[in-house]
Amino acid sequence: MELVKKGFKNVISDLVLIGIIVVSIFPFIYMFLMSFKSTINAYDFDFSLEKLSLGQYEKIFQMENFERYIFNSVFVAVMGVILTVAVCSLAGYAFAKMNFKGNDKIFLFLVMTMVVPSEVIVIPLFLITKGLGWLNSYRALILPLPTAFGVFIMRQAILDVPKDLMDAARIDGCGNLKIFFKVVLPLVKSSILALSIFTFVGAWNNFLWPLVACTKAEMKTLPLALSMMKTQFNTDVGLTMACAVINFLPPFIFYVFMQSRFKEGMTLSGVKG
Amino acid sequence: MENKKGGAGKLAPYCYIAPITLILVTFVIGSVAVSVALGFTKYNIMTEPVFRGIDNYSKLMSDSKFVKALKNTLELMLLIVPLQTVLSIILSVFLVANRKRFLGKLANSMIFIPVICSPAVVGVVWRELLNGKFPVIEKFFGLFGIEPSMLLGDAKTALITVGMVAVWKWMGYYVVIYSSGLLGISNTYYEAAKVDGADRIRCFFSVTLPLLKPTIILGVFLSVTNSLQCFDLIFNLTGGGPNNASTTLVVYSYSKCFSAGAAGYAMAISNILFVVILAVAMLQRNMMRREASEI
Repeated sequence: MELVKKGFKNVISDLVLIGIIVVSIFPFIYMFLMSFKSTINAYDFDFSLEKLSLGQYEKIFQMENFERYIFNSVFVAVMGVILTVAVCSLAGYAFAKMNFKGNDKIFLFLVMTMVVPSEVIVIPLFLITKGLGWLNSYRALILPLPTAFGVFIMRQAILDVPKDLMDAARIDGCGNLKIFFKVVLPLVKSSILALSIFTFVGAWNNFLWPLVACTKAEMKTLPLALSMMKTQFNTDVGLTMACAVINFLPPFIFYVFMQSRFKEGMTLSGVKG
Repeated sequence: MENKKGGAGKLAPYCYIAPITLILVTFVIGSVAVSVALGFTKYNIMTEPVFRGIDNYSKLMSDSKFVKALKNTLELMLLIVPLQTVLSIILSVFLVANRKRFLGKLANSMIFIPVICSPAVVGVVWRELLNGKFPVIEKFFGLFGIEPSMLLGDAKTALITVGMVAVWKWMGYYVVIYSSGLLGISNTYYEAAKVDGADRIRCFFSVTLPLLKPTIILGVFLSVTNSLQCFDLIFNLTGGGPNNASTTLVVYSYSKCFSAGAAGYAMAISNILFVVILAVAMLQRNMMRREASEI
């Protein structure tokens, strides 16, 4: 009787779990399927193999600037990650391991900028960028990406690096910068990876800032291109969905390979407490 | 090496922190300063700003669109936060209980996919799904007597629909946060409760919830600040319409600046939102501090 009861309970939980899975992913399955449909019969919902084609993907690459959108998105996200990791780990190193006047105060000052929500400062940021003459440039898209949050994370990680190791390197004649590259960075790899994921996904999915900072077509990124398509090609579902798929894939592929790292990275901002 | 500590050695730390400090001062501190200053001016980007004192702020109160946007922002928050919190706690408890089973693991990874997906994609795909041409969706909503094609187009339901999509998109995020909170609760508490004869429901309310309180405070505040700033989803789902029914403060501020060219006024609007978010952040700090001192 116990066994039957347990079996029954398992069936119920399995059903609920399947429900969760279906609700979580059916919009993406719909997106994938529709992206393989041609325009004329998009809404017949016949997903037999001969009705599916790669036509929409061929078409989307013929769209003006589309390769440029992909390049912009990749370039901005990659450069954003490199810049963020570089400036945040350097500063984190100084704040964690160096004695200098104002260490705590400057750190606190930087951390305070974390309460400023990015959505709220979009207009003044636009004005500043405009004043610098940087509108429609990669600088405008990349330079504002690093946040105090990255410094916070890197400082936290570098604090745990044992002082003995650094002292040993110093006795071997290493300077600060060499210690940073040879001793500190290899030991905080996992934090760097988490910060990279956090920054990459943020930059890749970023919408409001590129929307404001880039008015020229050739500077737009993939999310903007997708958003524009809904007005330009209102009837062409397949094409819009193909664009959505291209937008969706890079973070998704990374996620498939590094699930737990991804969850850690994406919820970083929540864990800071 | 000691003698290196003079001159250049003393400056070294400042060189390490200079790049990020420069970035944050220019873009974040600079933006806040510009926003506060120009919030007091009439400014259309083309011509010089004209100082008008608190004109913008006193105008806000009689601007019916602003009042509506403020109302929508708060409504959206009140819609998202309780639903998001309750649902994600229940799901976390369920997923943690099933975490060792294959389907449990699968569900745990699938529920996070909407989180990594760009809000633009989520907005565009859901708009497609809700356009009334997809029979599966039609049938599903038909069960509840709802016409899906009207959800985003009707002023009565547009904001609610946006809220539901937001809850769906961020569910995995909160599940991760609550799951880690749940996994941090020591098993001994449950064993003790079991000895006292508590059943599962009693366990949940008397053991799980109280011990999860710090995580819940964190989760609720994250949900509050995130929902107050919602822009991308709204822009891609409804564009703020119909008839401003889903226009929130961020959306209104954006359109005031970039469609109506009233940058000074737009910044006054976002300054109000900033003050609200700041107040929420302070409240959170106080509550978490009190929580920490209790333990």
